[in-house]
Amino acid sequence: MKPNDLVQGTLSLLILRILSLEPMHGWALSQRLKQMSKDVLQVGPGSLYPALHKLEQEGWVTAEWLTSETKRRVKFYSLTKEGRRQLNAQTADWKRLSGAISAIVIPARG
Amino acid sequence: MRWLKFFFRKSAIEKELNSEIRFHLDSVTQEKIDAGLPPEEARRLTMLEFGGAEQVKEECRYAHRLAFVETTLANLKAAVRFMRKSPGFSIAIILTLALGIGANSAVFSAIDAILLRPLPYPNAGELVVLHQYNRASKDSSRPIAPVRLEEWNKYNSAFQAIAGSYTQDLSETSGTVPERLAEADVTPRFLQVLGVAPELGRDFTPAEERFGGPSAVLISDRFWRRRFHADANVLGKRIRIESSSVPIVGVLPASFQFPDKDIDLWWPVPMDAPIAQNRAYTWFTGIGRMKPGITLAQARADLDTVQARLGRQFPQTDKDLAARIQSLKETIVAGSRRSLWILFGSVTLLLLIACTNIAALLLSRITERAHEISIRYSLGAGRGSIIGQFLTEALVLALAGSVVGLAVAAAGVRVFHSLAKALPRVEEITLDWRLALYTLCCAILATALCGLVPALIASRRSISSTLASHGRTQVSARASLQWTLVGVQVALAVTLLVGAGLLLRSFQELGRVSPGFDPNHVLTLRISGNYGETNDQKKMFQRMKNTVGALATVPGVESAAISATVPGAGSGFPIEIKAAGSAVSPSRKITADEKVVYGAYFETMRIPLLAGNTCKKDTLWTTAVVNRSFAETYFPNQTAIGHHLQITSFDAKPEIVGVVGDARENGLNHPAVPTFYWCSSNADPSPYFLLRVRGDPMKLANALRREIHRIEPSRSVFEMMPLSERLSESNAENRFRTLLLALFALTAISLAAIGLYGTLSYLVARRNREIGLRMALGALPSQIRARFLAQGAGVALLGCVAGLVIAAALSRLLAGMLYEVSRLDPLTYIAVATGVLVLAAAAAALPAGRAAHLDPMQILRHE
Repeated sequence: MKPNDLVQGTLSLLILRILSLEPMHGWALSQRLKQMSKDVLQVGPGSLYPALHKLEQEGWVTAEWLTSETKRRVKFYSLTKEGRRQLNAQTADWKRLSGAISAIVIPARG
Repeated sequence: MRWLKFFFRKSAIEKELNSEIRFHLDSVTQEKIDAGLPPEEARRLTMLEFGGAEQVKEECRYAHRLAFVETTLANLKAAVRFMRKSPGFSIAIILTLALGIGANSAVFSAIDAILLRPLPYPNAGELVVLHQYNRASKDSSRPIAPVRLEEWNKYNSAFQAIAGSYTQDLSETSGTVPERLAEADVTPRFLQVLGVAPELGRDFTPAEERFGGPSAVLISDRFWRRRFHADANVLGKRIRIESSSVPIVGVLPASFQFPDKDIDLWWPVPMDAPIAQNRAYTWFTGIGRMKPGITLAQARADLDTVQARLGRQFPQTDKDLAARIQSLKETIVAGSRRSLWILFGSVTLLLLIACTNIAALLLSRITERAHEISIRYSLGAGRGSIIGQFLTEALVLALAGSVVGLAVAAAGVRVFHSLAKALPRVEEITLDWRLALYTLCCAILATALCGLVPALIASRRSISSTLASHGRTQVSARASLQWTLVGVQVALAVTLLVGAGLLLRSFQELGRVSPGFDPNHVLTLRISGNYGETNDQKKMFQRMKNTVGALATVPGVESAAISATVPGAGSGFPIEIKAAGSAVSPSRKITADEKVVYGAYFETMRIPLLAGNTCKKDTLWTTAVVNRSFAETYFPNQTAIGHHLQITSFDAKPEIVGVVGDARENGLNHPAVPTFYWCSSNADPSPYFLLRVRGDPMKLANALRREIHRIEPSRSVFEMMPLSERLSESNAENRFRTLLLALFALTAISLAAIGLYGTLSYLVARRNREIGLRMALGALPSQIRARFLAQGAGVALLGCVAGLVIAAALSRLLAGMLYEVSRLDPLTYIAVATGVLVLAAAAAALPAGRAAHLDPMQILRHE
């Protein structure tokens, strides 16, 4: 399924969340996203890498070039302190927002 | 501030992006291969899914670029908004910066043009000035004999060529009234040494440089425009110099001003003329061009060998002679170097003070912006971006200030131009791209100084969050940083004030000094003459005698005299002489200043006669008069009158006929030294005529011109001005420097006072609640006032003490310029300290008074 607009806007939140678990490179990140969302969210490299670079630009993630077991140089992204702060703030916002939308869209019981 | 990294590592980032995308593609392909697809099929599918790799890369690149541009634009917009919100504040800052940066740029332009830039000749570093001097008698440098100069040119190995020149003032007589022209007489190779070609016409031919050859003359651009109105057909036209008519063969460019900027024409001297073979004549100031790569030391060593050889060849005349060489630029600029650097130091101090002031002002606004800053932090901004914003604001202010500052600098350059006589190379001072670049650097420096500290403090997270949430309930506010800044300003201002004070006191002392003569009601003038006349000493003497006699008969003239140098503005010319006779031990060396005067010199200058008589009017070179210092130093227990002096470089043995009082012939700031006045009119074909008149000296100008025209119709009269005007001109540089320093000092202390007032006002405003509470709890208004006053005065006192210490250390730099005033003169230091403290008290009194008049009820109700 292609990512829709809602997912696009929250892509940075998703990336920050996944990176908060452990540092990883772009390919692994897209795999983990697919896995954690049970295949619902699949982000192509065309959206993923620009988003990663934007986050790096803002200073919320930082990147390091490491050598993998296959002797290749791979770029690993990890969360910064500010990124962690951002994650908390945006998580809180998301909870509020999604709660409000759910309250309107999903009819209340009884 | 990641965009910085982006800027510098563009290609590295490109490579990284490529490998990142490639890794992803390979991983996707590998996944497909692991799922069972053949490699080429896996690859093909991957590429299809991926879309354009280039497009992805472009998006990533765009992400970086956008952020950079976005940040800068956002910062600039915010900065402009900040400025528009408080226009008065911003304008005050811009004007302060404009003054500081503008003044700095103006002085730098002078330093650049005068001290730093090479002279306007090709490879000017190779040009040197040459003189000869007598090693045995330790005479000062003298001009070089023509035949010796030619020998130096022929036998040296360190120079490309050596030439020489001397100047005289002549009359051009083709008009109705003789016009005075300044002529430079030059040796062959003159233009070659300087590396300049005429802008019209040609250099002299070898035939014109030979004795008996055709005459020719080169004229200056200024003379060409003035006399011939820039006529392109001027070549071949003739002018009448004295009694000969000479054709013009070329016009030299306007930028060529050697040996000085007033020269109207250049005349070639035939070096093979019989009269030029005399080894004892001192005619030429030498100008030489060293070979590329040769140092001054090597050139000196080389000429020493040449002259040593000449000394062996001509022992009688050359045995003790040696060459003296100095770089041309040094001879021109050395005198003003110290003044200019002191000026630069002062103006830089002023800029520092201005920046400190602005930094304090920006700091005081931080508390108002704490809320804004804390919001930005909660939105996820990095500390770097906050600092970036503050620095951008400071940069915008600094750039605006420096643009206005360029206007100030332009005005400053014009002021320098009007001081053409006091400083060398002043015509070369211009507003050009170097100056604009320097102004930009000043702006950047100002940004760093004004903006960095407030930016660093404002971006401290602790401050912003504390202030934003607790700002209103804070009872006491420390402003130690701002007080430090005020203290620094006071210290720097005190330093400038002490410097200015010392120079002013020096001026005052100079004014009190008695020069030993009376310069008032004395008119000076010169009449053209040329060096050729010195061949007939009798005729020259007769002319001078007639002229002086005729001038003395003009109604209104009380007495007339001749002097080779200007009294009170001469330069000391110490020579060694001996006293003949058994009364003085022959081994005692006498060093005295030599002056040559004729006529009623001492009566005209009102120098008192202490013993004996003044110069005899009818003899030349046979009598001399000495001053009191001379008599007391060299003839302590007897009268000097009657003794004969033996002048080593001349054959004369003048008899001392009188003793006169000491006079400061070399300037007020040079105390009188032993001086002997040689009675003669023939030292210079165009000496200074001094006339004591009744009333205003210039009133007699026309009458005197008529009289001179009557007796010497072919000569021109020039440089006619009162002696007092000449003397004040020679003081011009000193006056300018003192005035400027005083101006800077006053500006500095005003800025410091404003800073003090502003900081204390701000503090009072911030501590409103505290004051209200205190008064409600029983504090008296006077106590409140005293507290604030003490705070302000305390900082001022500390700053003052620091400033006095710095001033004492730096006063060393003024050492040569102070007259009769010690560099640690207590009167000046105490006066400055008192003045500053009084001013500080006044500046603090206003806000303190405001604090004392607060109504506690009003304040507490505002809560």
